[in-house]
Parts: sequence; structure tokens; C-alpha cells
Amino acid sequence: MNKLKYKLIPAGAAEGRNPINLIFVDKKDVVEAGLTYREACEVIAKNFKEPAAVNILDMDAVTVSSDGIMVDYGIVAFASIDYGMINKDFGYLEVSEQPYSTKLLEEEPHMKQWDNIDAYKGKRLYRGPNFEDRWPRVPHNETQTITGRIANNNTGSEVMNVVDMTEILIPAYGALEIMKDGEVLIGIAGPEISVGIGMVVFETYGRIFHRSYGAGLTAHNSGIYAKTVKSDYPAICGPKSTLAEYTIRALEIGLVPGKDLGCSPAVLSIAHAMGLPIAIDNIEERAWVELESVGIKKADMEKPVEKPMTKEEVIAHADEIVPGISDGKPFKVSDISKICYAEF
Amino acid sequence: MKLMHTKLPDFYQKLQDAGKKLRPETEVVVSGLENMQSAKLASLRVGRAEEYVEELTQDPEVTKIEIKILPQIPETIHTIVFKALRKDGTSPKTILGSMFVTGPAAECYYYDSEQVDDRRVPFD
Repeated sequence: MNKLKYKLIPAGAAEGRNPINLIFVDKKDVVEAGLTYREACEVIAKNFKEPAAVNILDMDAVTVSSDGIMVDYGIVAFASIDYGMINKDFGYLEVSEQPYSTKLLEEEPHMKQWDNIDAYKGKRLYRGPNFEDRWPRVPHNETQTITGRIANNNTGSEVMNVVDMTEILIPAYGALEIMKDGEVLIGIAGPEISVGIGMVVFETYGRIFHRSYGAGLTAHNSGIYAKTVKSDYPAICGPKSTLAEYTIRALEIGLVPGKDLGCSPAVLSIAHAMGLPIAIDNIEERAWVELESVGIKKADMEKPVEKPMTKEEVIAHADEIVPGISDGKPFKVSDISKICYAEF
Repeated sequence: MKLMHTKLPDFYQKLQDAGKKLRPETEVVVSGLENMQSAKLASLRVGRAEEYVEELTQDPEVTKIEIKILPQIPETIHTIVFKALRKDGTSPKTILGSMFVTGPAAECYYYDSEQVDDRRVPFD
């Protein structure tokens, strides 16, 4: 009997803050087990039986957060499992690697991180599934898998049980910490993250959108209502210091929020605290309406800070500088997860 | 598939008739299209539906057939018509929007069946 290792954050974990079974698999363990990604999801489904989202991650790869910050892992496949099954057509999605090209870097200024940050250079890039991966979904369908009660959306970062209608967000740094057995911050997303998720960058086959909204635009485009659309959902985030560290890496190579990077409250707050440029005039008015509704005022962002903070100061004070997450509580990943083995 | 079509009320009646053909006491419950008052359904698929229902009643232990109609693509894209009306019933403006709706997938309705025979139209 062979075994496939996976990490489970069970429904009810973290003092009941996590409502849905979340399964994370290291690509290396899938390869070691001699399975394809799809076979790995099927093996877990047959063993686990309960509703769950499954994400397979390549920890030697890179991906991009919704606001354009590169992070060093990539989701290579994701699935929804329920009742021991995977929906034949919609329960599983693979994410094709996106090859390096000068065209991609020219079209997508945030991808300069790939070339200019040593930790990412030469690594395989995985963002969202391409059109072939997505078939038989039509272009407007979301990048999600659906089996039974579980929808695993936006390339494994938003999971919903469509029967009891619970949901949880897994932003990029949350997944990173989970895989590294680090520390996560679990709380209610709140209005700032609700607005921030809409401040995306232009990407070919992004985790959420395909060549849709450039930096400085709002994908939500819903005025003062943007702050409420995802504000009530629980989220498993990385520590704010981790978010700050990765964001600063991008800012330090000269990328500008609102022009090269998304204008999320987190990215704007960090850039402003460090006295770095923000493309104020490139941020559309509709985006400012959403930002101002959560306290990120255009007038404040235009004013230079009296004493710009250093990288170290921002990371040390990230909890005060980076907005978002209410009722957040830190948890060691090892305390809320368990290692399981699926037999096949 | 692009031949003639079946009216929605006729479809419901045909399912009832097929389910009760062998044993009139067989209960036939159809759900999923309650918000449609009028529609036409592909006759080819209706004929097959009638045959499937009758086939399921061949098992003498079967006393009830549940028929659930749901989108084969679990995330459906809907048009929403936002229409403003004056007191006299005239309309000054309509906004057309889109809504993406993800519902429970088919597994929710058959997970406890001992045997599943998938005869749906394939996507490729």
C-alpha cells in the first residue's frame, strides 16, 4: 500500500475560525508517490470523503499576489472534493507553467520582480490556469473548481461551501506560511482587504483575471460598496510583517503602486510609510472612492511623510502600518493543522 | 438536437407519465426549474428523459423517482435586468448587469446512490 502525504487544516480548527476543510499538498510528495496531480487529488478524495479544498503547491516556484507582489511558491493544481468524489468536468484544474519571455515582462511591469529579485530569478512561474487548462469553462467563468458542496475559487485562494454558505479566504502569504509551517493570522478580512482584493494588476492568465484590469484600476468598481463585498469572511493570512517584507522587496526595485503594482491599501500604506513614490494620478477616481471609504485618503497619500521609515522599521511595525483583518489572532500552523496520509 | 422542441408543461407531464407507466402509484418529483413559467426543451433529450425514468422504475423495489434539473456547468452566468418603473408603469431606465452564480454540483443529489450511470452530453 502506497501513501501520499498531505497537510489538513480541518473545519473547526483555530478555535472554530476555519469553517472548511483545507488540504495542502507539496508537489514533491506527489512526485515521490508517482502520481499525477489529478491522481493525487482523486486519492485524497477517496480517502478523505468529507468536503474539502485541495491545493498542490510547488515550493520551488513563484506566483503573484492579486496586487502584483511576487511570492515564492506556486499553485500547480487545485481541486474540490466531496463525498469521496471529484466532479469529472469541473472538480479539478491544473495550472500550466508560464514561460519566461521579454514580451511578458514588457506587458506586465510588476513582473520585473522576476528578473530583479535574486530569490525569484530563474524560478518557474505559476499564476492561474490558461484557456486550455480551464476547458470546459468559458472565458467568463471564474478560475474555480466545483464538486458537490465545495467551490475552490481564484486558483485556490477563496473556498466556499455553497450549501452551508461558509467561506474562507487564503491570501498568498497565508498559503506560504501554511506550507512553511510558520505562523498565520486568522481573523475577519474586514473592509481594507475587501477593497484590496479588487486592486489587481494586468496579467495574462492571472490567478483571478486574464488581461482585465491594470494597476491603478479597480476590478470591483463598486464605489462605497467595495468595502463590504468580502469584509465578513474569515481569512488565513500570513503575519503582516511577512506581507511587508515581500511588498518592500518589490518597492525596493523601483516598482510604483498605482502604476506597476496594484493600489491596495496594504501596498499604498507601506509605500507611503517609507516615503516612496505612489502614482497618485494614475489611480482612477473610482479606485479612490473605494480607497477613501476605508480611510486611505488621496490628500494624505499626496503629502510626503515627515520621517520616512526604513525597511526594518516598517517590518517591525507592520501590525500598525498594514491595514486589514479584524479580530485577528496568530496561530502556529503546527497547532491548527495535522499531517495525514492517503493510501492508494 | 436542433429539431423540434417540447413545451415545459408537456415535459413535466411526460416525466410523470413515464414514471407511472409501469406502476401508477410510483411517486415522481421534479424540481429545479420552478422559476421558469415558460420554456421549450430539446425533444431529443425529453425522449431520453422519459426512457431513463421508465428504466429506473424497472426495479420493483423503486417506489419514487426524484428528478433534479440543474445546470451542467455549476457556475452559471446570468443577465440581471435592473428596471426602474414610474407610478404609471412606464420605465425611465434599465441597467443590464451580469451575475455569476455557483450552486451545489450534481454530486450533492446522488452521492448515496449505489450505482451512477453518466449519460450526460460530454464537453469534448
